[in-house]
Amino acid sequence: MIKVDNLHKNYGKLEVLKGITTTIQTGEVVAIIGPSGSGKSTFLRCLNLLEAPTSGTILIENQDVTDKKTNIMKVRQNVGMVFQHFHLFPHKTVLQNLTYAPMKVKGLGRDSAEKIAYGLLNQVGLSEKAGEYPTRLSGGQKQRVAIARALAMEPKVMLFDEPTSALDPEMVKEVLEVMKTLANTGMTMAIVTHEMGFAREVADRVLFLDGGVLVEDSPPEEFFANPKSQRAQDFLQKML
Amino acid sequence: MNLDFTQFIPSMPYILKGILVTLQIVILAGVLGFVLGIILSLLKISHIKILNWIADLYTSIFRGTPLVLQLMLIYYGSPQIIGYQIEPYTAAILSFGLNSGAYISEIIRAGILAVDKGQQEAAMALGVPYGKMMWDIILPQALKNILPALMNEFITLTKESAIVTTIGVMDIMRRSYQVGAENYSFFEPLLIAGLIYYLMVMTLTFLGKALEGRMRRSD
Ligand SMILES: Nc1ncnc2c1ncn2[C@@H]1O[C@H](COP(=O)(O)OP(=O)(O)OP(=O)(O)O)[C@@H](O)[C@H]1O
Ligand SMILES: [Mg+2]
Repeated sequence: MIKVDNLHKNYGKLEVLKGITTTIQTGEVVAIIGPSGSGKSTFLRCLNLLEAPTSGTILIENQDVTDKKTNIMKVRQNVGMVFQHFHLFPHKTVLQNLTYAPMKVKGLGRDSAEKIAYGLLNQVGLSEKAGEYPTRLSGGQKQRVAIARALAMEPKVMLFDEPTSALDPEMVKEVLEVMKTLANTGMTMAIVTHEMGFAREVADRVLFLDGGVLVEDSPPEEFFANPKSQRAQDFLQKML
Repeated sequence: MNLDFTQFIPSMPYILKGILVTLQIVILAGVLGFVLGIILSLLKISHIKILNWIADLYTSIFRGTPLVLQLMLIYYGSPQIIGYQIEPYTAAILSFGLNSGAYISEIIRAGILAVDKGQQEAAMALGVPYGKMMWDIILPQALKNILPALMNEFITLTKESAIVTTIGVMDIMRRSYQVGAENYSFFEPLLIAGLIYYLMVMTLTFLGKALEGRMRRSD
């Protein structure tokens, strides 16, 4: 469970997050949508402390990650992240991309790390690519490997920042399928996305951000059928 | 022009032994410079101001003064710095190592900064601690990109190493010069030295290209 309370983030004078409060239950899938520059990425990146919150608290599994005494590295091991541009390690093979952190961070032996890795590659349909270097993969394949890499740490929460925005249209589906399957396994997920169809189908809740403010927080049926705010209505009009 | 190489044939083994001396100095200084370069580059990209400052000062001193001066300061200064006279050979390795460390640190720093910021974020998001991230993720990618520049530095080192002659190290240069003095004819032995340096540099260039090719496997 993730509990965010009155989260603020400033870059110098620029106030990017203006007091976000929300709770993501265990096993819940939350879609985060909103116009460009509204603070979606910043919000997500605060959750695993890639950005340091200016004020407010974030509890992950009842641990206050904004507390100075909390071990950030330990927190990050439980929170997987998938980026728009994959960020696979180009000098490592697909298999090594998956086994690196479990071995070097969690201290897993090679055998158990590879066992987990092969299981995940199978799950994302890329078993036969284990020995390839990332440059030999298509965008969709890269993103599926990136998802598997994050899952290899066996995180409790997965964050996705526009995981399909850098993909050619024909590759979006294969990535969304993997995410849908993951959602069905009960993984807690926060997904920044512009894929409204996906959000509607897979998300349990939609968070609509605008100008650093959480404007709406409602189930997708409700959000897409009757957005309460004018800003969400305008946004959806443009998107659909 | 009358050139007579035949009279120098008996001296060839003597000159050629200088290759080992030169190679030893260049390789040991190269290793020292490389290790130092990595350390300095990490200081330069650190977020701790005083560390940036120390590394920048070091670099500016070693780049801002002549190498031959650094060589002589270390050699002739050793009794006053550490209390006893060091070997010319040691002074050569030290000064070349310390000097190339300054240049290599700039190359590595640029290489690290050129690695996509996303790599660091991906590693951080996986909970990889800073040291391991640098060593396993960032530096290997940086090194691959700067390999040509590093090879260049190594070649420069090989050529510049000829100035160790000035403190009496028995390298290719000094041996050729001595042979010239004995025979009252400097031109031919110096040409021979030139050819040896040239062949060494060509070999290094070739090895560098081969290594680069191997490192490009993942592209
Ligand atoms: N490191 C930074 N320094 C300064 N300003 C930043 C930084 N990162 C983001 N911002 C600013 O914060 C605001 C929110 O950025 P953010 O990336 O969170 O938006 P977003 O909703 O993810 O947008 P997009 O849909 O374009 O990805 C923007 O105005 C952006 O310019
Ligand atoms: Mg964004």
